[in-house]
Amino acid sequence: MLNQFLKSRIPDARKLVRELQKDFDYVSILGTVVSNKIITVSTHVNSIDDVDAECGFVIKVYKNGHYSEYSCNDIEGLKANEIRKAVRLDKTVSDDYRVKMLQESEHVDDYLREDSSSLSDKEIMTILEETKDGLHARDERVINVVSRYTKRQTSKIFVSAKKCLTQKYDWINVVLMTAVRDGGNIKSNYEAEGEADSLTALNKFREHAPGVLDIALRMLKAKPVKPGKYTIITDPSISGLIAHEAFGHGVEMDMFVKNRAKAVDYIGEYVASPLVNMYDGAAECVSAASYFFDDDGVEAHRTHIIKDGILQTGISDSLSAMELGTEPTGNGRRESYQRKVYTRMTNTYFAAGKDRYEDMIKSVKHGYLLCQTNNGMEDPKNWQIQCTASYGLEIRNGEFTGEMIAPVVISGYVIDLLKSISMVSDQLTVHGSGMCGKGHKEWVYVADGGPYLKAEAKLG
Amino acid sequence: MMKKNEILACLRANKQISDFEVRIVDKDSRELFYVLQHLQINRAVKVNTTTIKVYVSNKKTTGSSTVTLTAADDAKTLNQKLKKAVSQAKAALNAYYPLADKGQNYKAKKPSAKDLNAIASNAAKAVFKADVYRQGWINSTEIFVTEARNEFISSNGIDHIDYDFKIGIECIPTWSNKKEEFELYKYYQSNKIDYKGITKEIDEILKAAKERSRALTLKEVKLPEKLPVLVKNDMIQEIMWVLGNDLSYRNVYQKQDHYALNDVVSENPFDLILKGTISGCAASRRFDDHGVVLKNRTIIRKGIAKAHHGDIQFGHYLQEEKISGSLPVAELKAEGSSYKKEPHLIIESFSAPQLEEDSGYFGGEVRLAMYYDGKKYIPLTGFSISGNIYESLKKVRFSKEQTVLSNYKGPEYFIFSDMIIS
Repeated sequence: MLNQFLKSRIPDARKLVRELQKDFDYVSILGTVVSNKIITVSTHVNSIDDVDAECGFVIKVYKNGHYSEYSCNDIEGLKANEIRKAVRLDKTVSDDYRVKMLQESEHVDDYLREDSSSLSDKEIMTILEETKDGLHARDERVINVVSRYTKRQTSKIFVSAKKCLTQKYDWINVVLMTAVRDGGNIKSNYEAEGEADSLTALNKFREHAPGVLDIALRMLKAKPVKPGKYTIITDPSISGLIAHEAFGHGVEMDMFVKNRAKAVDYIGEYVASPLVNMYDGAAECVSAASYFFDDDGVEAHRTHIIKDGILQTGISDSLSAMELGTEPTGNGRRESYQRKVYTRMTNTYFAAGKDRYEDMIKSVKHGYLLCQTNNGMEDPKNWQIQCTASYGLEIRNGEFTGEMIAPVVISGYVIDLLKSISMVSDQLTVHGSGMCGKGHKEWVYVADGGPYLKAEAKLG
Repeated sequence: MMKKNEILACLRANKQISDFEVRIVDKDSRELFYVLQHLQINRAVKVNTTTIKVYVSNKKTTGSSTVTLTAADDAKTLNQKLKKAVSQAKAALNAYYPLADKGQNYKAKKPSAKDLNAIASNAAKAVFKADVYRQGWINSTEIFVTEARNEFISSNGIDHIDYDFKIGIECIPTWSNKKEEFELYKYYQSNKIDYKGITKEIDEILKAAKERSRALTLKEVKLPEKLPVLVKNDMIQEIMWVLGNDLSYRNVYQKQDHYALNDVVSENPFDLILKGTISGCAASRRFDDHGVVLKNRTIIRKGIAKAHHGDIQFGHYLQEEKISGSLPVAELKAEGSSYKKEPHLIIESFSAPQLEEDSGYFGGEVRLAMYYDGKKYIPLTGFSISGNIYESLKKVRFSKEQTVLSNYKGPEYFIFSDMIIS
């Protein structure tokens, strides 16, 4: 059910929109409440917290070629004059404004997606506790286990002259981190399960926990990679990371407006192997990054970014789409009501192909299966890429040797990497509980994934 | 929002709450967003964030739970939240630890009113003052000027008040070599107003973008097998974060520390002093999340690990007598080393500097480096460096030049002699 506080403020929002329309050519109000229930069970500290990560409003107005926004805790009793005063520009700011006004269509709707499980805190703690104790019992080198359940409940309203939208959706993340120590050698490994309902997320967490510890223990013997160019097979999380960093950020169309994306010159060109298809969209699947409408009040879409290796289009927020004369794709997202909208990814992934995973491994003479997203960085203007995998497993003559490297940094030129893709598996996983920044700030939840990919890459 | 006294009345009326901490932050900010030098959006943010942590303790155990206050709350809803928080605190008990003692309350003098609009506008002008080149320009600029009033109240009688001020500027410089355009990334942060300093830093990053536009690759320039590598800015901030974390009570208690006290961190006899505040460091704070007023602590003296720092919970578990609080900024004092005459490689910009606390791996893909071959500087791009920070620190040297970053004051460059360039 939509947060009651937000529901109670819809009449206030409508009234404020009408009042502000007397002075401004465009007005919209976004209200957001994000409530997090966080249950942490670890080797050393436990806690249960109920934290409203967000609760507030942002009022967006347009006049004379530029937009202004005012973020505040509440709109009840808020006077139009307070907003005018708050967004007043200093007289010394250059008045060279050139932005066009947003045009909207009539849209009124309510959306709902809720956790279908009804587990008590105690039941959740018991699962987390048993898992933690089970890992400690398995190996005395385990020094710390942190299990964290987070249920994020998001409610939003969007009100403008032509729109009145509400949405409520839940997402559950269960994260396991385990640290092991052998003398001075410390390693840690993690896994995050994200689901729309608590029971499924906790069951997966329980099922995968032993494997998380196994990898952490193997990491104790992992070696650094000998820098060089290798044949790689990427697991779905690393495939997703590459999609995200290579042509996710690269086609965020607010970067097109700023002339910060090389992709704008490559629409209709081959940017990847013909085996490659890539998508983004909040409507694509149910994940940490799925919603019904974005922070501009635009319905979630599905965008085909790369078709058979050819770059098709980008993703956009409303303002960027208007500037570029394209349709918005429902990718306008804010870190919170206190921050500006940017074009942001949602569920970004490579489509499945036709190859069998086993055949892909057999085809590698010497290389690595790269696993588990660690982090990455985009370079949309110059197409350099950096993606870090938590570990890699050595393959020689089509078989795993048992050797592990960790961590592994993949770097190089985006097009070289994507054009080198020679096999694409027939399995596809979109997974994500991580967060993505734009530059070094503006953190939002994203999901990404894909099939296993075979490519050539520089590792270091 | 509920008034402080109303919140405290609710907390005191709940007899199951043995202790509480309340943090109230009133934030006021003005933001300007430019494409080239054209204003696209201006923003104002005026918000209150109130966080309440309730404790249910006895002599052996402490349970705690955190709730947040929203504009929707009144005494009735807050009492309901507190009742639920008590039950959650009882369900998640930890070993006992006390709250910070009252000591002396920190009451910062209210700063004179600042015109945040004017400061934001002047900061934009300072950025654009550097935008004077024909082949180079500033592609986008975001300015954030923030003032905050922070109040911390606890059931032990603490009532601290402090005021924060920060300027943050994201700036994307671009340079064209007529065939292609090249960009770099800059995030400037400071807790003081220094328009000349902003212009200087933006000019430097524009010049760095120019270097990237003419940078060569390792296929075109052969580097000697052993070459001192100088890291700066983001990577130094990462190193400070890792050293501070490693010598924290939490890491010691969790057995995730790499250095025991009296271990040699480095053969270079540097001192690392953690502090609450340093002028220019945007991460500065007067008191931590438990209300502990922060005082300087030297965690590394003459290259040797000498002390821990951190929050009261883990400090108490380790039976520390003088708990420092969590110290957010660091000053490094060391003898400067001369590097300018020998061949060396300065890493001007990473894609994203990587430093893994557990394994010690550090490095990343380099967007711009300046290679000095003994005669001249040559810009390089498109390669990686890697190493192990715990090994590399043993032989680290420092530059004579000094700098101030968001969490650090000290030598501008760390000089490592054992990094792999590939």
